[in-house]
Amino acid sequence: MERRVLVALAGTGLFIAALDAYVVVTLLPAIMSDIGLTIERLEQATPIVTGFLAGYVVAMPLLGAYSDVRGRIPVYVACIAAFAVGSVMTATAGLWGFAGLPWLVVGRFIQGLGGGGLVPLSLALAADLYRDRSRTLALGSVAALQEAGSVFGPLYGASLAAAAAGLGGWRFVFWLNVPLAAICAAGLVAATRRAELPSREAGSTIDWISALLLGVGLGLLVIALYPDDPEHRPTNILFVPAIIAAAFALAAYGWRHVRELEPLIPRDLLRSRTFIGAAVANVLVGAALIVALVDVPLLGRLVFNLSQLQSGLLLTQFLIGVPVGAVAGGVLAGRVGSRVTAALGIALSAAAFLQMSGWRADELSLHAGPLRQADIALAICGLGFGLVIAPLTAAVLALTRGQSHGLATSLVVLARTMGMLVGLSALTAFGLYRFHQILGTPVINDPDLRDRINHLEQLVAAAFLQEYREIFLIAAVMCVVAAVVIALSLQPTRKSGGT
Amino acid sequence: MNAAKVLRDGAAAMAHLSTVSATLKLTKGIVSIKGFALVNAKTSVRLPADSDTTYTVKQQDFLFSLEVVISGGHVYLHAPFTTFQEQTGAAAAAFPDMAKLFDSSTGLPAMIPAGTSPRYISTDKVDGKSAYQVATSYTAEQVHGLLSELTSAGPVNARVWVGVSDHLIRKAVLDGAFGDGGKEAAVEVDITGFNSTINIASPTP
Repeated sequence: MERRVLVALAGTGLFIAALDAYVVVTLLPAIMSDIGLTIERLEQATPIVTGFLAGYVVAMPLLGAYSDVRGRIPVYVACIAAFAVGSVMTATAGLWGFAGLPWLVVGRFIQGLGGGGLVPLSLALAADLYRDRSRTLALGSVAALQEAGSVFGPLYGASLAAAAAGLGGWRFVFWLNVPLAAICAAGLVAATRRAELPSREAGSTIDWISALLLGVGLGLLVIALYPDDPEHRPTNILFVPAIIAAAFALAAYGWRHVRELEPLIPRDLLRSRTFIGAAVANVLVGAALIVALVDVPLLGRLVFNLSQLQSGLLLTQFLIGVPVGAVAGGVLAGRVGSRVTAALGIALSAAAFLQMSGWRADELSLHAGPLRQADIALAICGLGFGLVIAPLTAAVLALTRGQSHGLATSLVVLARTMGMLVGLSALTAFGLYRFHQILGTPVINDPDLRDRINHLEQLVAAAFLQEYREIFLIAAVMCVVAAVVIALSLQPTRKSGGT
Repeated sequence: MNAAKVLRDGAAAMAHLSTVSATLKLTKGIVSIKGFALVNAKTSVRLPADSDTTYTVKQQDFLFSLEVVISGGHVYLHAPFTTFQEQTGAAAAAFPDMAKLFDSSTGLPAMIPAGTSPRYISTDKVDGKSAYQVATSYTAEQVHGLLSELTSAGPVNARVWVGVSDHLIRKAVLDGAFGDGGKEAAVEVDITGFNSTINIASPTP
């Protein structure tokens, strides 16, 4: 009983943290407004999303090992406390002169650090408490909570902010994290006193050099892809030196990390075509998934002129499609195998993105029977992602022994989150550059100022639409590449062979 | 402390300015300029008639900037994603001429001493300088005369900070029913850059 409570509480904390990864997407215009960012500096809002992801990715591979020596619960409580501190910083952004964009980005990074740490900790806790088939189920449940939190974040943010309009709107979304985090932490501490946790191994500690290398590498990567002047260039002025330095730092991190992982994951796994293919496919899936999660609500705000809540609701069909696809993927993988299921899923998403790359300004008024065409495309897109996520995870799990399932699942999430981070940074840079190219320098001569601004809004919306069409096309291509990688790397049989 | 004299000294000091900068921040209510909700405005003024003002306005949830440069009698507007365009006629008159805010006969120097029942409140530090804080109030007509966008449904309460040594007006807070639809609103104006070098040139469209 206590085991279930512990895993449920840990999973709940993880779910809350994962919700916050993309919760800002639908809230972005309101947040930007409250910290004084104008629409013409949209690129400055990118770190509000990528800051969280960077923290998430830095913490994820490090804290599992640290908790081996410090204990799962103390480290979990520290992580969720960090998440709460980051939430407070985020919630208070713009309230004082010093709490501007840097304050907000640091808050989001700390949120991400805390939230990212919860991924390996929750998985490790589940692995500690369960054995055999129960362990796989527990790990699957925890991983599913992480996925669900990420995917539902934008709609959750929009709905909660709308419901709490009188309580601070978007700020309430982050304030709410504080009591929720406190409940999870207190519940875990209380439940731990009644449960017997396995004793920890001595000698394991946090690898600060790896942490530094990963943090610096990702930081440089984000800087390289940050469009500091999107009117004139697609990437940062420091792109070349930053990308080279990032490559060195990440390569050094990879070398250290692989060396550290060897005792846990067999060398064969790291050289396995299936593992490498699944990792590459996950990076591509993450990069394409972020397009749907981030760009669809933004498209709703900037082009379809939807409200904050409506832009979140635009994702509803996508969000319904993901769990339906996940369930269908489980059934289908059992019949036709992971490879076919995953390839079929990502191909469906590719087809949906391809349709979305032709969206028009009046897309939401176009119907196929009683359904909006846009909703059908988004539902198919979500269905495709749902279909692909579980088989890819299962393919990696099938290659590892039971005691490595937590780490393997964590690596799958890590690969996808890396894809999201790099994909979001790169596509934002590309998108804003293309936006300025498409818009050019409009000359508007309406005599009335109001008419002139309305005219400008139409031109800006048209440029954003074209930008997002191109991004959807790129997402479709990434999905096709992922499908090819899956087809070439995953094993064709129903069950992938274990090591 | 003779609060009326403090205001008179402040007005007299302001009447001798050649350049000045100001930041106006809406702290309560909604004040619209040409249909856009004003968030703040930053202006640099070279008297008698040149100014460079950036208005940050809000439409739905989005903020955007409108920069208005008035130089040599010409008015230029920089809207988001565009270059400067010269404005004429009604378009040129769409935004307030911020230089007039500091005009010695019609702007702050003329209005400040005309406050009703001025009273000394305290001596505070403003921007690192000691300043007398004086509370007073102005009629709706006086405020409207200062900025035509501010139409108040009643008298406007004001707090004015006047430098102890140089008598320059460093800060003012206006509070009254001058928001949209006669609702309560408040603005805070910070004034800096007295007689400092300001470059306001006609922008190249």
